[in-house]
Amino acid sequence: MDHFFLLFWHALLVAVFFAFLWRSDSRGRKALFLKTFLIMFVSAIVLGWLMFPFP
Amino acid sequence: MTAKKETRASGDGKTAAEEAANPVSKPLLLVAWLVPGLGHWLLGKRLRAVVFAAVVTASFLTGVLLHGELAVPQQNSPLSWFFTFGCIGNGVLYFIRLLWVNGFDGLFNSSFPFGLQGGGDPVAAGFFYGKTFLYTAGLMNLLVVLDVHDIARGDKS
Repeated sequence: MDHFFLLFWHALLVAVFFAFLWRSDSRGRKALFLKTFLIMFVSAIVLGWLMFPFP
Repeated sequence: MTAKKETRASGDGKTAAEEAANPVSKPLLLVAWLVPGLGHWLLGKRLRAVVFAAVVTASFLTGVLLHGELAVPQQNSPLSWFFTFGCIGNGVLYFIRLLWVNGFDGLFNSSFPFGLQGGGDPVAAGFFYGKTFLYTAGLMNLLVVLDVHDIARGDKS
């Protein structure tokens, strides 16, 4: 099981969901999708790195 | 006094009388909850319907494939009802999975709704990931139902 893929997959599904739930136009959906996806995906990786030194 | 009540505006500027005159069909909400995406489909929002159905179903199936466990009510555990509410948001997917895991006899046992099994494998590597996907799917579908409510009431296009 690839944790990285699961992180990617979960972020993708949730980002698509909220893009279609909260925006009606194509441009708005793309923008919200990118913002939501990157926030979840990148912040999880950054937090992982920050927690790396801790036991 | 009465006139004041009737003209009292809600947050979106509608009066109480206007809101009462535009009730949302309960069967529509029930259908929206039971079958992810069907509520939007019936309202003519075909693209959103397909996307919501695909996202909720994909999340649910991923959770099942990762051996995640669905929440079921447990005695002396009030929080289990809270988690169950989130998982029941999956609608018919939840009941099919429970039927798959418990069978007819197990589903309607003497201590119903207690004693049910939520499936999953606690020692599997993907157990907690699976639970996350299952809970996420349920909560997303509950948001879909609220969206159907808003569209049906005319608060959202």
